[in-house]
Amino acid sequence: MRDPLPQRLGESRYFWGLSRERLAVAGGLLAAAAAVLLLAPIEAFASAPQDAANPAYREFPVVGSRVIMWVTAELHLMFAAFVLAVPMFAVIIEIIGYVSGDKRYDALAYEFTKLLSVSFSFTASLGAMLTFLLVVLYPALTDYLMSIFSWTFFPYVALFFLEAIFLYSYYYGWGKFNPKTHIFLGIMLNLVGTGIMFIADAWLTFMNTPAGISETGELVSLSAAFMNPMWMPINIHRIIANIAFGGSVAAAYAAFQFLGAKTDEERAHYDWMGYIGNFIAIAALLPLPFAGYWLGKEIYAFSQSLGITLMGGTFSWLFIIQAILIGNLFLAANYYLWVSMERIEGAERFRPYIKYLLIVIAGCFLVWATPHSLVASVEEARKMGGAHHPVLGVLGVMSAKNTAVNILILTTFLSFLLYRRGNKAPTVSWAKAGNIAQIAIFVSVVVFVTFLGVYGYFVEASVRIGLSVPQVLSVIFCMIAVTTIDVFMYRNARVTGKIKWGQMSARSQYALFFIALTFAWTMGLMGYVRAGMRQHWHVYGVLEDTSVDAFTPTLGYASNVVSITVLIFFVFIAIVFWLAGLSGKKAWEPAVKAGGEPGEEGAE
Amino acid sequence: MKNAVKIFGFAILVTAFYSYVGQTVPQKITYPPESATLGADMSSAELAEAGETIISGKGTCLGCHTIGSGADPSSLRFPDLGGIGAAAATRVEGQDAVTYLAKALYEPNDFIAEGFLPGMPTINRPPIGLNDDEIKAVIAYLQTLGGEPTVTLVTDLGYTTEVSAAPTPGATAAVGSGLDGPGVFQTYLCGTCHNIDAAGALAGPSLYDVGSRLSNAEIYEAIMDPDATIADGFAGGVMPATLGATGFYTKISSEELRALVNYLSAQTGG
Repeated sequence: MRDPLPQRLGESRYFWGLSRERLAVAGGLLAAAAAVLLLAPIEAFASAPQDAANPAYREFPVVGSRVIMWVTAELHLMFAAFVLAVPMFAVIIEIIGYVSGDKRYDALAYEFTKLLSVSFSFTASLGAMLTFLLVVLYPALTDYLMSIFSWTFFPYVALFFLEAIFLYSYYYGWGKFNPKTHIFLGIMLNLVGTGIMFIADAWLTFMNTPAGISETGELVSLSAAFMNPMWMPINIHRIIANIAFGGSVAAAYAAFQFLGAKTDEERAHYDWMGYIGNFIAIAALLPLPFAGYWLGKEIYAFSQSLGITLMGGTFSWLFIIQAILIGNLFLAANYYLWVSMERIEGAERFRPYIKYLLIVIAGCFLVWATPHSLVASVEEARKMGGAHHPVLGVLGVMSAKNTAVNILILTTFLSFLLYRRGNKAPTVSWAKAGNIAQIAIFVSVVVFVTFLGVYGYFVEASVRIGLSVPQVLSVIFCMIAVTTIDVFMYRNARVTGKIKWGQMSARSQYALFFIALTFAWTMGLMGYVRAGMRQHWHVYGVLEDTSVDAFTPTLGYASNVVSITVLIFFVFIAIVFWLAGLSGKKAWEPAVKAGGEPGEEGAE
Repeated sequence: MKNAVKIFGFAILVTAFYSYVGQTVPQKITYPPESATLGADMSSAELAEAGETIISGKGTCLGCHTIGSGADPSSLRFPDLGGIGAAAATRVEGQDAVTYLAKALYEPNDFIAEGFLPGMPTINRPPIGLNDDEIKAVIAYLQTLGGEPTVTLVTDLGYTTEVSAAPTPGATAAVGSGLDGPGVFQTYLCGTCHNIDAAGALAGPSLYDVGSRLSNAEIYEAIMDPDATIADGFAGGVMPATLGATGFYTKISSEELRALVNYLSAQTGG
C-alpha cells in the first residue's frame, strides 16, 4: 500500500527523460515566463493612480482586476470543494471496509485519498494567490473586511495547520496505525476541514447579507456578522454540493485510469471506482435542490430586492442555463446507470422500462428549462399578448418547475433502484406486498406533487411559495420509505447473475467526464450568481463598488469566463491525476548494458 | 497520451457548448444606477417625469411592482401600481394621497396591502438609497397614475433623511482625482478628436449634440467599448488606441466616468 519513493533522482543526469542541458533550457524559459508574468503586474500597478494616498482599486493588466479575482476565486473554490469532499467519502468507505472486512473498500478509500495531497497544495496556493490579489487590487474592500473579521483569521490559520497535520497523517499513516486510530484521524480531518469552510463562508456570505454592523458599516457584533442570514444555508448547501462535485471528479479520475488500463483487473477496479464515485455524486445531487430552496428562502427573507434580482430580475435567465446544466446532469447520470446495467447479468429484464424513464426525464427537463418570459419582437409580443408564450409561458412558472424537478429526482431514484435489483431476486415471503407498497408510495407521491403543482396556479403568491415545502418533504419521504423497504426486501436476496466489472464501453466513461465537467460548470455559474447578485455592491448595501467594473456583465460574457475557469481547473486536476498516478509506478533504475554497466537512457 | 488528448478535446467541446448556451439567452449589461438631476424650480409635471426615470432605474421599483399589468392580483408577488394616484387617498382613513405615498415609501412595512406579504425595503437607505428629492419625484410620478401630480421639491413630506456625518465605507471606497465632466474631457484630451462646441467633425464625430442622439447607456458604451458601434464615415480601432494611450481605461474611476457621461449627455446642440 505504501508509495514507492523515486530513487536516486539527484544522482542522475536525467530527470523525467530530459538531459540536464535541456532541463536548464526549459528551466530558463519557465523562469523568463514567470518573470514576465510577475513584472507585468508591477508595470501595470505603476500606472495605477498613485496620487491618492490610499487607492481603493488597482488595475490588473490585460484581463482586468475583476476577471483575475473571479477566475482565481473560482479555481480556489473548486479545489477546496474537492479537498473537503474527498475525505468525507473516503473515511465512510474506509469505515465500510473496516466493518465488513472487505479489503477492496480500504484500497478504494486509499485510492481516493491519493488525490488529496497534491490537491491540498493547489488549494493552498490558490488561496494565497486570492489573498494577495484581494490585498493588492481591492485594498479598500480588504481593509473593510479586515475591520469586521480580523479576529476570525487566527482560528482559521490554526485550523489550517491542523488540517495539514490530519491530512498528511491520514494519507501517510495508511496501514501504519490501528484502523480505529486511522479512522479517528479521518474524522478529525473532516471536522477541521468543515470548520475552515464555515469560517470562510462567514466572510463571503457577509458580503451578500451583512449583519452585526451599524448603519455606517462599523462592527457591532462579530457573532451576528459571522452568523449572518446566508451563512448556515450556504454551509449546508456547500457540504452537499462539495460531496457531489468531489464524487464526480473522483469518478472522472477512475474513468481516466479505466481508459488507460492495461489489464482486465485494472479495468474492473477502475470501473468499480467510477461507479462508486458517480453514485456518491448523484446521491448528493438529489438533496441539493432542497438545500437550494432554503438558501433562496433566506435570501428573500433578508431582502426581497436581492431575492428578486437573483431569481426574477437580472439573473432570471441564468437559472434557465442552470436548468439545462442540471437537466444534463440527470440525463447523463441516468444514462450511465442504464449503460452500467449492461454489465449485470439479469438486468436485461428492466431494459424495456428505460425508454419510459427517458421520456419522463426529457419531459421534466423541458418543463424545467422553459423560460417564464420570451425575448420577442414587438410584432411577436403583440401576437402573443405579451412576453409570455400562450402555452409555454404556463410551464415557465415555479409551480410547474418545482413539480418537474421533483419528478426528475424520483425518476433518477427509480433508475438506481432498477440498477440495484439488476442481478438479484428477493427471497422474503412478503416480496410481492413490498413491491406493491413501493409502487403505491411512488404513485401517491407523484400524484401529490403534481396536484400541488397544479393547485399552485389557483392560489395567491404567498400561498404558492409555501407549496414547495410539502412537495420536497413528500419526495424525501418517498426516497426514505422505498429505500427502507428495499433494503429489508433484498436482504439475503438470491443472486441471479454476475456483475462483470470492467466490461464497460468507453462512452460510459465519457459520461463520467461529462458529469464532472457539468458539475464544475454549474459550480462556476452558481459561484458567479452568488457574487453577482450584489451587482454594484462589494458588501450589499454597505460598501459600494465604485470601480470601472461596477457594472454587471452579460450572461454570455460570464459563461465564457466560467468555461475558461473550468478548462483551467481540469488542466490542473489532470496534473493532480498524473501525479497521483506516479505513486503506482516503478522506481527509476538505470538501464543496464549488455556488459552490466548503466546505459545512457534511464528506464522508467 | 492519446486518451488525454481525446479527453481534453471532449472537455473543450462540453465547455464550448455551455458557453454557447450562455450566448443564446438575452444579453444585458446592468450599470450602477445614476442619481437624477433635479432642479429646485421644477414643476410637478417635470418632477413626475424625473420620477418615472427613477422608479425604473435607481429606485429599482419595477423589479417587484408592475404598472397596469391587468393581471390577477393573486398572481402577483407585490401590488400593481396602476391607479395608485387615485387609490392612495382612500387607503388609510384620514390620510391624503401624498401623506399615504410618503409613508409607504419611508415606512413601507407600516401598511401592507391586503393579500400581500411585507418585504419592501426602506428606499431612503442603502442599497437603494434614494434621497428626499428623488422620493418626491417618485411620489409625483405615482400621483400621475390615476391622478394629477401636486408634489414639488418644496413640498414638506414630514420626513428628512439624515446623512450620517461619519464616513461610510462606501465613501472611503471612492477612487480617483474627483474631476468633474469637463475636467475629465480635458484631462484625457477628448477635445483633440471630438468637437464639443460645434457640429463640425474633427478626427472623430462631433459631440456637440451627442446628448440628443444617444442615451446615457449608449454614451457609456461608446466610451468604454468604442468599437461596439462605429459612427458612419469613421474608422474602428482609433478611439480605443488613442484614448487607451492616455491611460484612460486604467485610471478612470466610476465617479469620473459618470461625470463624463453626464457632461456629454448635457450636450444637446443648444
